[in-house]
Amino acid sequence: MTDLAAGRGFDPSTGSGHRKLNPSEQTNTPARARKRIHWLPYALVLPIILYEGLLIVYPIAQGIYGSFTRIELASKNPPVWVGWDNYARMFRDPEFWKVIQTTLTFTGLVIFVALGAGLCTALLFNRPFRARPVARGMLMMPWALPEVPVVMIFIWILSPQFGVVNILARMLPGVAENPQWLQVPGLAMGWMVLIASWKAFPFYSLVILAALQAVPQELYEAAKVDGASPFQLFWNITVPGIGTTLELLVVLASIFSFKQFTIIYLMTGGGPSGATETIVIRIYNTAFRFYDYSYATALGVAGFVVSLVIGIFFVILQARRAQENA
Amino acid sequence: MTTHAADAESAGKKYKVRQKVGQAALYVTVAAVSLLTVFPVYWMAVSTFQPNKYTLHFPPPLFPQEITVTQFAELFGHHPIALWLRNSFLIAVMAMLLCTALSVLGAYALSSLRWKGRSTFGLFLLVTQMLPEILVLIPLYVIYRRLNMLNSLPALSLIDAAFILPICIWILKGVFDTVPPEVLDAAVVDGCTELSVVWRIVLPLSAPGLVAVAVVSFFFAWNEYLYASILLGKAEFMPASVGLSTLKAIASTPVEQYMAAGMIFSILPVLFYLTMQRYIVSGLTAGAVKG
Repeated sequence: MTDLAAGRGFDPSTGSGHRKLNPSEQTNTPARARKRIHWLPYALVLPIILYEGLLIVYPIAQGIYGSFTRIELASKNPPVWVGWDNYARMFRDPEFWKVIQTTLTFTGLVIFVALGAGLCTALLFNRPFRARPVARGMLMMPWALPEVPVVMIFIWILSPQFGVVNILARMLPGVAENPQWLQVPGLAMGWMVLIASWKAFPFYSLVILAALQAVPQELYEAAKVDGASPFQLFWNITVPGIGTTLELLVVLASIFSFKQFTIIYLMTGGGPSGATETIVIRIYNTAFRFYDYSYATALGVAGFVVSLVIGIFFVILQARRAQENA
Repeated sequence: MTTHAADAESAGKKYKVRQKVGQAALYVTVAAVSLLTVFPVYWMAVSTFQPNKYTLHFPPPLFPQEITVTQFAELFGHHPIALWLRNSFLIAVMAMLLCTALSVLGAYALSSLRWKGRSTFGLFLLVTQMLPEILVLIPLYVIYRRLNMLNSLPALSLIDAAFILPICIWILKGVFDTVPPEVLDAAVVDGCTELSVVWRIVLPLSAPGLVAVAVVSFFFAWNEYLYASILLGKAEFMPASVGLSTLKAIASTPVEQYMAAGMIFSILPVLFYLTMQRYIVSGLTAGAVKG
């Protein structure tokens, strides 16, 4: 068995043809010593490739194919090939462009607010103070809370009748009545951004904090001796020190907020009058409210292209970051 | 000489005052941040344990005036919460077993072995990890419908596991990476085969990582809403995430029951996420950040 495997896996270029190793060789090349079964890694990842292939890659391929057809689930008719019709419709559809705009607004604002809050809290928690572990636990609370209860809590907090947030709102000049928080387009969008950021920022904070703690303290000491101001310390030591992490997080945050479904869908469903309808919500509504599967798959392909582009950015940054760590 | 000392003293005092003010400002800011993150959770607890004559009043009192626990019994009496939690539990256990088993394979291949295609495999995982769930949902719904797999808890756990698997592989890879290669080499010298090295050495040494992966996959499936809401249409299969979203505060569900349901659902995930945060962070960033 081993011989067969070794024979198949023999690779003359690396010269690792000796399957039977004696102890002296093992001490010379300890990392190589164990690589005996050449097919083992492939056997290990095969189930994973099959599994992800069947449940994720195959449906996506089906989706891409489906976007060129007309699907009628209710009837037993097979899908009809319609070519680029769904895409032509998409590009002519003014609502599609509005959805793109809403998606960009939402995603951009969440990246800004959540990362900003994450950076500020990380800088804050990087300072030593008593009760820091407790405060850190409290900071992580929104992140640990599942999305559905987050939605439930905020529906209750934002209730126009009894919502506790109205106590604060009433303190503002010119607010005499409890606002209809989720019925006014601008307010609804604002709350979606705030809630999504509230849920996400502790994660960013934790990651930035880890990066801050990896910045060598000697740099700060040396700069202080040379008379650097706190701003100079931040700009010339902290920012370069956590730069790659921040880049990585910008990409990660854009993926996470682009994917955001549950909070928006359960709180506004995309309303009022489409004000919070990001592309993810639009795809869902098109498929499962209007039962327009073919058009929804075309929208899905558009979303796929976007997330693929962001994904590639992430891969590049992640590889760079991993290299630095190594 | 004396003036010099006095100068130094006053400068020291000034420094001390400034330091005290800075400390105070630090504590105030930390308190404000903590208030912001904890208040909504606090409010859930207050609204749960207080009779609704206090909560259904504007402005509501900010501190609980009276505590009751009857709402829990009423909640279980009026809504099939027990059934929902049971469904969630079954889905989560199946996703957990599947995901943990598969992530051991993937993590070992990525961590300890050098092979052609390793980085391509990593890339494949990263890309699947980045995809929005909705993109897979529509075609998957059509496929599941054709195969008669709608309204099946195991079928739902299959897709849940598929979405969390890449993250679990990264978590476990990070843990496997910490097993010193010398230990593995020594085992091989002592006559272990490649597979028994995994079984006898790597896995026992990575027990906390295995627990982390199990917890992460369990609660991913437990929390998941989107797939569950579409792939499980029948009320008898409804998991808690979907069930809870059907409750309407005030309109049909009294607020204290509504919030009690939210609390019951979140307690375990919150506890476990807080304990496992280090691992989850490393998984979500594909190992780029150790947390």
